[in-house]
Amino acid sequence: MADRAEFMERVRHRTRTGAYRPTHAPDVAWTREGAPLEKEPIENPPARFLEELEAVGGHGRRVRNITEARKYVLSLVRERDAKLVLRWDVEELDRMKADGPLREAGVEVAVWNDDLEDPKDVAARADIGLSTAAWAIAETGSLVLEGGPGWGRVVTLLPPCYVAVLPAKRVLSTVPETIERYAERGGIPANVCFHTGPSRSGDIEMTLAIGVHGPGDVHVVLVG
Amino acid sequence: MTTSKPARQHDTEDRRREGIKSNVEGFNERSRKAIGDRQLHDAVALASKNLIEGRNKVLGALPDAPELRERAYRIKQETMANLDRYLEQMADAVEARGGNVFFARDGEDAIRYVADLARRKGARIIAKSKSMATEEIELNRRLEEDYADLDLEIVETDLGEWIAQLAGETPSHIVGPILHMSRQRVADILSSVAGEKLPPNVEELTKFARKRLREKFLAAEIGMTGANFGVAETGTVVTVTNEGNGRLVTSVPPVHVVVMGIEKLVPKFEDLSTFVQLLSRSGTGQKITVYTNFITGPRAEGELDGAEELHLILLDNGRSKLLGTEFEEALYCIRCGACLNVCPVYRQTGGHTYGSTYSGPIGAVITPLLKGDKEAKDLPHASSLCGACSEACPVGIPLHDLLLKLRNRQVEEGLAGRAQSVAFKGFENTMRSPALYRISGKAGRLAQKPLEKDGSIRPLPGPLSGWTNTRDLPPLAPKSFRELWKEGLKDG
Amino acid sequence: MKVALFAPCYVDLINPEVGVGVVRVLRKLGVEVVYPERQTCCGQPAFNSGFFDEARGVARHFLDVFENERWDYVVCPSGSCATMVSHYYPFIFKDLPEDRERSETLGHSVREFSDFLVNVLGVTDLGAHHEGRAVFHTGCHQRRELGILNEPRKLLRNVSGLELLDWGNEELCCGFGGTFSVKMPDVSTAMADEKIAALEKSGADTLVSCDSSCLMHLEGRLKRTGHDTRVLHLAEILDPQKDG
Repeated sequence: MADRAEFMERVRHRTRTGAYRPTHAPDVAWTREGAPLEKEPIENPPARFLEELEAVGGHGRRVRNITEARKYVLSLVRERDAKLVLRWDVEELDRMKADGPLREAGVEVAVWNDDLEDPKDVAARADIGLSTAAWAIAETGSLVLEGGPGWGRVVTLLPPCYVAVLPAKRVLSTVPETIERYAERGGIPANVCFHTGPSRSGDIEMTLAIGVHGPGDVHVVLVG
Repeated sequence: MTTSKPARQHDTEDRRREGIKSNVEGFNERSRKAIGDRQLHDAVALASKNLIEGRNKVLGALPDAPELRERAYRIKQETMANLDRYLEQMADAVEARGGNVFFARDGEDAIRYVADLARRKGARIIAKSKSMATEEIELNRRLEEDYADLDLEIVETDLGEWIAQLAGETPSHIVGPILHMSRQRVADILSSVAGEKLPPNVEELTKFARKRLREKFLAAEIGMTGANFGVAETGTVVTVTNEGNGRLVTSVPPVHVVVMGIEKLVPKFEDLSTFVQLLSRSGTGQKITVYTNFITGPRAEGELDGAEELHLILLDNGRSKLLGTEFEEALYCIRCGACLNVCPVYRQTGGHTYGSTYSGPIGAVITPLLKGDKEAKDLPHASSLCGACSEACPVGIPLHDLLLKLRNRQVEEGLAGRAQSVAFKGFENTMRSPALYRISGKAGRLAQKPLEKDGSIRPLPGPLSGWTNTRDLPPLAPKSFRELWKEGLKDG
Repeated sequence: MKVALFAPCYVDLINPEVGVGVVRVLRKLGVEVVYPERQTCCGQPAFNSGFFDEARGVARHFLDVFENERWDYVVCPSGSCATMVSHYYPFIFKDLPEDRERSETLGHSVREFSDFLVNVLGVTDLGAHHEGRAVFHTGCHQRRELGILNEPRKLLRNVSGLELLDWGNEELCCGFGGTFSVKMPDVSTAMADEKIAALEKSGADTLVSCDSSCLMHLEGRLKRTGHDTRVLHLAEILDPQKDG
């Protein structure tokens, strides 16, 4: 095993003056010709979020209240002919009160907590995963998912269909803004994930394949 | 001799070898196979075109892209200037969150650590998300061969990496590992694993891969990733994928091992803002990848998934040698792949011709730096120095200038060969003497007379045959410009 | 306005008509041209192969020759050689302050031909005439180190009888790269073929550039593959006394 001190000795700073000297090629990325489109302040983050999510193949909807959110989830479960729904153990989803109607319709609803004997196995069998999100990012159509008690990571990852329900006011504007938020607050959770649309790969002949490991069917409901 | 259990049937065995894989010596000689492969050429051309167009669009639309690029350079420069301090900070931060840190001087160190860990855990399956650092040290193959008693199955879970692993091939592009394979080939490879004939249909093949690899995610005792970035301030490790396997291997298996090159560090969490914006826009033309995952220590109290143990292996393997040298900038690379996409040489040869984990312009630079000049002698010369790589690099690494410096290093180390040294000494002497230069010109005109045919030089043996085999060579003009000047042009 | 002409060694020895064209164009615009007769080469072949010491030797000779004359600018009909002097001389003299200063001073006055016409003299129309359908190839040094993309095209668009076409893969290197063309001949040739395929697709019958080195490589391959494309340096097209 390499001695840590020995390792550090090899790495110890040697003075160097490098200079940032880009070439003069009029590259579209490094020269500013014409007004760039993106960073104008995003006036309507939820609207922009939905646009960006659709652009990467996700499905988004803004609803007025939690009742309409429940309707969306119920109809999604129906459409997908789901038999098992696994959801985060969070108060917001409790308040959505989708469990009752679902169970009445013969759909099994599992909640991610230690009442489950084998939570990962449930996630592997679930048809739909349901969660909230800490934030969303308008610029890219991303959800910001934190890990924590009741907030199973695999709930958002193993089922082929995934739906997130969150208040529209949690939509932040940009990636830098979001990262800064975590930088400033300190105490980064053990896991934070920026999740953007359906899982994909272009590995086989540069042809798009959806739902490679993560869910291929991704829905986000913005409430309010 | 006691009867032993039959060897466990593994789906995947990693037969891939780093380094010059073919018996053919020389970059140019190895390139012939790729150049003659029309399907490969078209695949590379199409991929490059799409990736470049995507990159131009999303990077071009970012108003502060030029500032981000400069900032990225300076952050990396600052990091390398104080790498010891940041490594200590990273280790402390990771340990404070309950993770384990190991400093690996080289591949052997790292692999031994993983083997010991696997042994302690009784692990049989390691599920891996793409990591170039682990390919660089040939972790898979060496674990399988040197620690065969562990009977480990190491499964690559990126779709392209898994398929390459099954085929016994190394990836040919940082971002698109099986750019070089047709879908029929992929179907054949997966069919032999499936034990049934799968159609060359991307959806079907993907479905099979998802199902098969899912079994591995759920059974693996160890999940292994690389790291795109490591944040010294918080001990955070960042991985960036599109498929979701990076997040799966860090959420399902009880143990997570990260193999991270020491140059992947950035000082502060806020620095990620610069790099997250640049990485996927530059490499794949996406504003962001599907999964950008930030891992800080093992799972928190009360979490039911996420790794219970985190092991961060900080890998040197020759990187520290470059600190403070004129080649340090090679360490600023964030592995986006943009330089491969724009490289006109890579466009013709594909990745395998480079014979190294790292191909394209960054490969031509970093391979001789990490492995020494002798092993990678051709690579600095596998370039016309057009500079497209330096132009495309989102961190501003002057790749083509580094290639030039590598050529100079070879000369200084006496690797250039006697013939070249003599030739260029002669060149210098001729060009420092106007008289000698003029005489050479006149001598050349005389010498070429018997070789001229239809306005060009007839094919020659020797060093210039490389040219005349495929191209006509113009003759020296009957009168040089200087002669024309003196004979009348001077006066109008 | 007085300029010193820096004629690259291959212009001197292989394509002198390029130098002649430059002189005629400049004189037509009222510029006095001197040609320092002791010049030989910028040293790039040695430099590109990593022989920096030898390149420095040649560079010092170059500096001696051009410092010995009085002129306002040094004009060079080659993006690649102009780059060598203005951009890479300071690079190879990085640790030799005296030579570095000399090369930085000289470097500021070295201008590539089309850059000089458009940006110094402010001229884009020379009243030239040339029949043909042309594509323009920008040499890599010219594109990336000098950033001169539009100037040659502006000049060509004002040539009557000449139709300037777009072509695909415009930013791709032609594959010359100096000694690269003989060290990695298969790759170099494949790169030329990529450009030639784009040329064919464009329907052009003429190929123009500001770099004779690129043209030598592409023309060599064009001829070998049976194309009868006309290959010309910009200076030849603008030459007021061409064909005579």
